[in-house]
Amino acid sequence: MHMKNEYQNYMSFSLQSLDFFKDSYELRIAQLKEERGKGIKIVGTFCLYVPDEIIFAAGADRIVLCGGRADTISVAEQSLPRNICPLIKSSFGAVVDAYCGGNLACSHVPLVDVVVAEATCDGKKKMYEILPDYLPTYVLDLPQKPGSPEALDYFLSELRKFGKFMEGLTGNVVSNDALRREIRLANETKRLLHRLFDLRRRNPPPIRGSEVLQVMQKQFFLSPDQFRQGVSRLCDEMERIPPAARTGPRIMISGCPMAAGNMKVPDIIEQKGGVIVVEESCTGTRSFWDLVDEDTDPWMALAERYLEIPCACMTPNDRRVARIVDLAKQYDVQGVVYYTLQFCHAYNIERLQVQRALKKEKIPLLAIESDYGDSDREQIGIRVDAFLEMIA
Amino acid sequence: MISAGIDAGAATTKVLLLQDREIKGYRIAGTAFDFLTSAENMFVELLATLNIGREEIGKVYATGYGRNSISFADKSISEITAHAKGTSFLFPEVRGIIDVGGQDSKVIVVEDGKVTDFLMNDKCAAGTGKFLEYTAKALEVPINDLGDLALGSSRPADITSMCTVFAESEVISLRARGISKEDIAAGLIASIAQRVLVMAKRMGLKEHIAFVGGVAKNAGMKAALEKELGVTLYVPFEPQITGALGAAIAAQGSIKQG
Repeated sequence: MHMKNEYQNYMSFSLQSLDFFKDSYELRIAQLKEERGKGIKIVGTFCLYVPDEIIFAAGADRIVLCGGRADTISVAEQSLPRNICPLIKSSFGAVVDAYCGGNLACSHVPLVDVVVAEATCDGKKKMYEILPDYLPTYVLDLPQKPGSPEALDYFLSELRKFGKFMEGLTGNVVSNDALRREIRLANETKRLLHRLFDLRRRNPPPIRGSEVLQVMQKQFFLSPDQFRQGVSRLCDEMERIPPAARTGPRIMISGCPMAAGNMKVPDIIEQKGGVIVVEESCTGTRSFWDLVDEDTDPWMALAERYLEIPCACMTPNDRRVARIVDLAKQYDVQGVVYYTLQFCHAYNIERLQVQRALKKEKIPLLAIESDYGDSDREQIGIRVDAFLEMIA
Repeated sequence: MISAGIDAGAATTKVLLLQDREIKGYRIAGTAFDFLTSAENMFVELLATLNIGREEIGKVYATGYGRNSISFADKSISEITAHAKGTSFLFPEVRGIIDVGGQDSKVIVVEDGKVTDFLMNDKCAAGTGKFLEYTAKALEVPINDLGDLALGSSRPADITSMCTVFAESEVISLRARGISKEDIAAGLIASIAQRVLVMAKRMGLKEHIAFVGGVAKNAGMKAALEKELGVTLYVPFEPQITGALGAAIAAQGSIKQG
């Protein structure tokens, strides 16, 4: 059609090193199967608050179970209420489907020996009470007011308890040396992701936001080794890309995670000509922004770092608001798309504080609440169109 | 140079021709199944009526829900931008716009004709013209009479349901209880006004507020909003054309620049 988007010519090239992330699924499944054959335990996780470092220090492997697909939701709705967030329903539906021998769930779900869950939002907590009907489930507790020494002490004790659980599961000792090694390796991943995100400060950035999201969705799916190799190659390739000429408004996405399969909103933003340059979310900066201290007691270092994750289930969560404003400036964004999963009360309510803080900085915000269905594509499209016209 | 604005709305299509700063003419008609055919036919009719040749039209801009289906348009812009441009053209002093259309309602904050913030209703029919259309049917009152009917109410009925389908059954049960048509009509209008007001207050609208879209023709609705907002609303001589007008203005802008 002749009604071309003004920014349609932006980035016609494709980054070859992204193919690895697209094609890595089978490779990883084969690896997990092989590990299981050797008696290595596979842990399923749902959240950044569960430290990878402890799982790996115990000699286990891990794989993320967050669902971003719509097709397992109807399975979940046979047991769960309809009005809870689609991520919880999709994830739960995948586990139930795998357990019941269905063919909807991805083939990594049945490879999990145990779920290590976390007491974050109400929907997840209550879902984890039903999960043991299908899979052994361990719940890591979290203090809800993270800003006090008592909260830190409590979380530290929870991490140690989790370490004991992992020792029981694997028969290995979680030594301080092993933890330090894993902390160093995980910090390496975090530094690499900083390198990737630093490249996005360019105007225009050498990679699409939707492409970065697909990489980030693989962060807790791939083995850390595979992931680091992939990101490292990607950064090398991006550094070789010559600067492009024109670009649309620079957008930050902030809010709920976008689990693998959930690409709707970034896709719409990019179709309409927006350039996504940074994501403040669990599938964005939150996993890697802060490093773990390598020079102190490893348990305490983990407790301090993980309790700082600015999730909306914490109260108060001022540091998230501050982080968003800081990122908006660092990445020179013209507008923030505040994304929430339908029925995610914590992020939905927190929008007001974020909006107020951004208003002070004269940075416009567009709030989008959506589920995994396609019925609202047009409605979201209208809002995104208007928002981009407003900030252009 | 003459430019054309096409507002391919969910319920009605509007076509408008603009020469410099003068509205040459416009057409409003129900949108048929096919957005494109509706718009094309109306465009051709309007040109014929005004005795203007197709070649005299510089640029055609489309807006509205079906904006991307209008293949003969040079460009499409969002309804938000279009309403802001069109309304500010008619009332330059306007700082806020309430648009209640057939399928959605929106509140726009403007500064010198430029959008600075906006809010659209949730993705259901609550708070839109559809709500009034369905519930008027349950009341067996033509939609155009609903507003005047409401003005004759002494005790507006309490309509608690925001859902169009549930409100329809609520109307039927109110009728069964012997509540007057006037009071039910006023209740319906108060309920949709309340919905729109929440949006207006969230956007911080205070004064110089315009009310546009098909529902702005409803006198009862205008009165209900004015009472709550404490201001007199600016309503264009034809509240349905601000989108098409805005699109035509944007098209003129592109002619001048290019």
